[in-house]
Amino acid sequence: MAAVPRPGRWLRAGGREGLIRLLSERPLFLLLLLAIIVVVNAALVPYFLTLGNLLSLTAYAVEIGLLALGEVVVIITGAGAIDLSVGSMVSFASMVFGLLLTRGHVPLWLGITLTLGFGVLMGSVNGLFVTVFRFPALIVTLATLYAYASVPLVLTNTVPISNLPSGLYRLTGSLDGVPTQVVVVFIPVVLVLGFVLHATVLGRYVYSIGINELAARFAAVPVRWTRFAAFCLSGLLAGLTAVVTTSRFASARPDAGMGMELQAITIAVLGGASIAGGSGTVAGVVLATLLVTVMDNAMNVAGLQSTWQLGALGALLIGSALLNQLVRQRFGTRRGRVG
Amino acid sequence: MQSSDLGWEGRRPLIPTARPWRALLESREFTIFAFLLALSVALSLRYPQFRTQPNLADVLLNVSQLAIVGIGMTMVILTAGIDVSVGSALGVCAVVVGDLLIGTHAAVVAVVGGVMAGVVIGLTNGLLVALGRVHSIIITLAMLNILRLVGFALLHGNWLTGIPSDLSALGNGTVLGVPIAWWLAMGLGGLATYFLRSRPSGRHLYAIGGDVEAARLAGVRVTRLTVFVYALTGALAGLAAAVFVGQQGQVQTNAGSGFELQVIAAVVIGGTSILGGKGSVVGTVLGALLVGVIRNALVVAHVPALFEGLVLGALIIVAIGLDLLHRRRGH
Repeated sequence: MAAVPRPGRWLRAGGREGLIRLLSERPLFLLLLLAIIVVVNAALVPYFLTLGNLLSLTAYAVEIGLLALGEVVVIITGAGAIDLSVGSMVSFASMVFGLLLTRGHVPLWLGITLTLGFGVLMGSVNGLFVTVFRFPALIVTLATLYAYASVPLVLTNTVPISNLPSGLYRLTGSLDGVPTQVVVVFIPVVLVLGFVLHATVLGRYVYSIGINELAARFAAVPVRWTRFAAFCLSGLLAGLTAVVTTSRFASARPDAGMGMELQAITIAVLGGASIAGGSGTVAGVVLATLLVTVMDNAMNVAGLQSTWQLGALGALLIGSALLNQLVRQRFGTRRGRVG
Repeated sequence: MQSSDLGWEGRRPLIPTARPWRALLESREFTIFAFLLALSVALSLRYPQFRTQPNLADVLLNVSQLAIVGIGMTMVILTAGIDVSVGSALGVCAVVVGDLLIGTHAAVVAVVGGVMAGVVIGLTNGLLVALGRVHSIIITLAMLNILRLVGFALLHGNWLTGIPSDLSALGNGTVLGVPIAWWLAMGLGGLATYFLRSRPSGRHLYAIGGDVEAARLAGVRVTRLTVFVYALTGALAGLAAAVFVGQQGQVQTNAGSGFELQVIAAVVIGGTSILGGKGSVVGTVLGALLVGVIRNALVVAHVPALFEGLVLGALIIVAIGLDLLHRRRGH
């Protein structure tokens, strides 16, 4: 498959097809879309534009945003890599976290560390099958999607765990009105991941194996290690999401991550990631996260249940995948195939 | 792709093997059959309720639904695609079948309506995958959730009950002691096997899965066949929904949820390669039997039903491991 050239070049290259160019400048396009949705919401819902409401929205955005960041890195590495198991990993890690804190009586810091480690472990199982045994990522993570979802249900016979140590709830408190997890978790993760992905050799490895795996191998890029690390990162961020979501709900739920894989994949694809690999940015994912959050909030306000939100996300996923394909084809023919 | 990727379930090899018995013994179909037999015997001895007639009929009825949809899924996976929306599609079609039965009391109208609804769903999947050129997992994952919403909206969040029993023959009737739905699945399986082994279009499905660009250059109508396999899978989900309604007599709001995993497990366990280009309907039917017996084993052994995802997930991984091992050894 041809890979899409890095975004940013098109702006400098110039072109006559204004609309297509706008669509290809994904962050710009997402900003525009976000602005439209915000304006529509503000017109329909009187209290939408209050600072309090906007800030409370970001609390929810943290969880799906973290998962989408892991997802986008996996998808960028290409060769059909995708992680369908992210939601189930959140459920599993949540229950492990809850059990560690209540039955294990471990201190909070150790519980969080062990949960993150458990996330990496789950991700590494996916990565092991994909890179060492060379199973297709699609079927491995489809199998673990169901496997990881089933164990936490059995652990407590579907009963959520509450009575967690109160120190945990400070994580999802408020710092001058801003949700704590945004400042302490999300922004640092975005900055670090943005730096690693866009400004370090490791980041170039990730893109290079997605754009052209063979060329990357000839350039001595550790292809398998890089893809393995991407799956581990996805597990790590799922573990982090589990900690945040457990704190926000003040209980560890065995179905905490149910359906979250759809949100993560939708955000990654809307953010510009193509399943063929090699494309997608941290900035795109952050903007797409805000977009999906505002959309979910609007449906909440309208009184539509989660089934409606997942259905709408499905439509959004198809729309953004078709959009990616349109951009790819237009630029594929005009600029020649890259990769 | 190596030429050795064409297993015996494709055309028979040009040079007949010197040891035909060994080829049979080494085939995936034989392995599953032996395993299935051993498992059934063990279950019968350990849990006498397993071999009671009502229990076996129930297993066979569930397997029929798996096998019917599995036929379509086999063809989708042969073309190197996947359809994870079949569970939701079955749910939506079941609502259509139930509503039509309540409205008309005519079994034929209800079955045709269910199949038509399935065709519409499958066509949507197929057109988006083939013309939109988006990977099938993206389209069908999205459709899984969209269809769940459609089913939810059609049911207004309530169970559909009070369905007349006009379809109960399809659900519970037997001929020669075997459920009618099983005969239906066998008939469709026979047709599909003939199609895949002997019709040009059937052979083309293997070609698409082997190398889609090569197939296109060789004149295979890739777009048309891709749309066809998804539409067929949708239609079969509609038919399975008719069996489902006949069996249950009601439609829950979460009808068909998790069904996609069972179908994909049956196909993959049956030896169809997830990479495309290799597989058979015979294997899928045997895979469906194995999935059905294992799910029943969990019930009779009083294992929590919640473990089902773990067991089926592990089975899929093992089946793929065997498949890839087989390929790399150069068979």
